[in-house]
Amino acid sequence: MIVAENLTRVYTMGKVEVRALAGVSLEVAKGEFVGIMGASGSGKSTLLHILGLLDRPTSGSVTIDGTDVLALSDRQRTLFRLNRLGYVFQDYALIGELTALENVYLTSLVRGASKEEYIERSADILRRVGLGDRMDHRQSELSGGEQQRVAIARALVNNPSILLADEPCANLDSQTSRSILDLFARLNEELDQTIVMVSHEDWHKEYFCRIVTLRDGMIGDMVECQKEPHPG
Amino acid sequence: MFAGLGVSSFLAWKSIRRGNKGTLALTIMIIALIFVNLVFLPSIISGVVVTFDAQSIDFDVGNLVIEPREGSRYIDGVDGLQKKLEQIPGITGTSPRIAAGVTYFYRGRNAASTLYGINPEDERSVTRIADHMIAGEFLSNGDTDAIIIGTILAGTEGVAEGGLPSLEGVGVGDSVDVAYPNGATRTYRVKGIFETQSFGVDTAAFVTTREMSQVLGLDDQASAILVKTAVNGREEEYKTEILSYGVQEDVLTFREKSGGFVEQAIQSFNIINAISTLVSLIIAIVVVFIVIFINTVNRRRQIGILKAIGIDQQIIINSYVLQVLFITAIGALVGIVLNAGVTAYLTAYPLVFPGGPVYPEVEASAILRSIASLFGVSVVAGYIPAWRIAREDILTAIRG
Ligand SMILES: Nc1ncnc2c1ncn2[C@@H]1O[C@H](COP(=O)(O)OP(=O)(O)OP(=O)(O)O)[C@@H](O)[C@H]1O
Ligand SMILES: [Mg+2]
Repeated sequence: MIVAENLTRVYTMGKVEVRALAGVSLEVAKGEFVGIMGASGSGKSTLLHILGLLDRPTSGSVTIDGTDVLALSDRQRTLFRLNRLGYVFQDYALIGELTALENVYLTSLVRGASKEEYIERSADILRRVGLGDRMDHRQSELSGGEQQRVAIARALVNNPSILLADEPCANLDSQTSRSILDLFARLNEELDQTIVMVSHEDWHKEYFCRIVTLRDGMIGDMVECQKEPHPG
Repeated sequence: MFAGLGVSSFLAWKSIRRGNKGTLALTIMIIALIFVNLVFLPSIISGVVVTFDAQSIDFDVGNLVIEPREGSRYIDGVDGLQKKLEQIPGITGTSPRIAAGVTYFYRGRNAASTLYGINPEDERSVTRIADHMIAGEFLSNGDTDAIIIGTILAGTEGVAEGGLPSLEGVGVGDSVDVAYPNGATRTYRVKGIFETQSFGVDTAAFVTTREMSQVLGLDDQASAILVKTAVNGREEEYKTEILSYGVQEDVLTFREKSGGFVEQAIQSFNIINAISTLVSLIIAIVVVFIVIFINTVNRRRQIGILKAIGIDQQIIINSYVLQVLFITAIGALVGIVLNAGVTAYLTAYPLVFPGGPVYPEVEASAILRSIASLFGVSVVAGYIPAWRIAREDILTAIRG
């Protein structure tokens, strides 16, 4: 459960101030699949960074599962990201020196899981995203869609309370995009996974439960749950 | 904490295994060369000291020298004192010497230098001059008209030894006139020529005590008694031991006898060494700093990603420090091997110093000190750039 109130984010570049967010309030309930849409430069990534604890708002408050995450120290925020959040970047953001499997289990290693446990879990998730036969490949040996699925597996491996994804399909063809979105939909339905996803593709709308449209750093439009029972 | 170290070493190891091999090899090589540089000079300095000490002990003064008390010219009762000394366990030889400043004459040339009177058998029990005859023979106890001469003093026909006393070409069988300080003059036949490579010894000459006592009118007296001990390096203990046997004369170790000359040389060498060490360590700092700096700057994005997915920055910094530790460890190992090669070469083809050939003396302490300083320096030089990049803002880092 995310409660964000009156978020603003102002970038100061010399004498010019850019208001990337100009007062956004948003609640995301457990098990929701929320799509954040809007034109380029409308503040989608900025909002997701703040919800993902990668950035701090200029003003406003964010509470995740009852924790005031803005009050946490940098180290506590790191731990919070590790234990509660899964973040999927637009450009995969894999560690090139690690194999797919290693990329996925790295955070479990930090959490102190036993070797059997984290290998088993990571392999299981990779199989679930359809990469059972690509586990020992490194980033340079994977296609764009495969890399993005590794990134998703990495974000999911610790059962995060919230999965945040910033244009996870931006660099993928529509076929691959669809398989990723199907995966999200399945996670959302079967595991009741909370997902907040940024997109600017109209056809993605059919997957989202709720659609938040940003316009110039503010919520321009909010469409309540309109998802069809079985998308795709 | 320990889980953190595990993750750090996991990341460090993957980075070394799958990173750029060329850069890795080059860095290891540079560390190895710095290591050699750190160990090499001290090993030569130790070698010089060892050579100087060995020369002093083997040819010049033995391990210890007994000298007349303040105010006396000679030690009296030499026979008795010699017997007393030889009772002391660990003392393996004593050699009383009479010394006099004399002038040598040979074919119109003359040279001023020291002449010693020795008992040849006693002298053999202390110094190794007898083993270093390059022509003729060493003295025998009964010789009265024989002299043995150092190679510099004997000289070479037509070559002036640049200020050193030289008779420019005396050979075995030649006759040399010696003018004693009391005005007496004697003619001796050259029985042998020795070469020890110690200036003080190779510019001197020896006759028998029997001869010199007679000329100078001495009886059971000596200018000094050289003492040889079973092992080197424990002169201070033997000195105390000798004094405890009630010896009234002055007792000096060979170091004290050389009058600070070696100490001074060592001091100068140590200054050179300190400068060289400092320069090497600064090079090590710069190299490691640059390598890790480039490494971390190239991976800014990766470091940002690691932080974004919840990996503590200390784990990230530690992974770089561990890489540095690994590189330094391998570098030091390669350095030890390289250094062994250099040492083997210089042992086979030693550097020649005025005191004789100098062999590199690699001391374990010098190796340990070099390893320790290399590690200290590289950890610091690796930590700083890693720390600087790792504490950068996540989004700035990820944008690259
Ligand atoms: N680090 C920054 N410094 C200054 N301005 C920034 C910075 N990051 C974003 N902005 C500005 O904030 C505004 C919102 O940016 P944001 O990245 O959130 O847009 P977006 O909706 O994600 O756009 P896109 O669809 O192109 O990804 C833009 O006008 C952008 O120029
Ligand atoms: Mg964006």
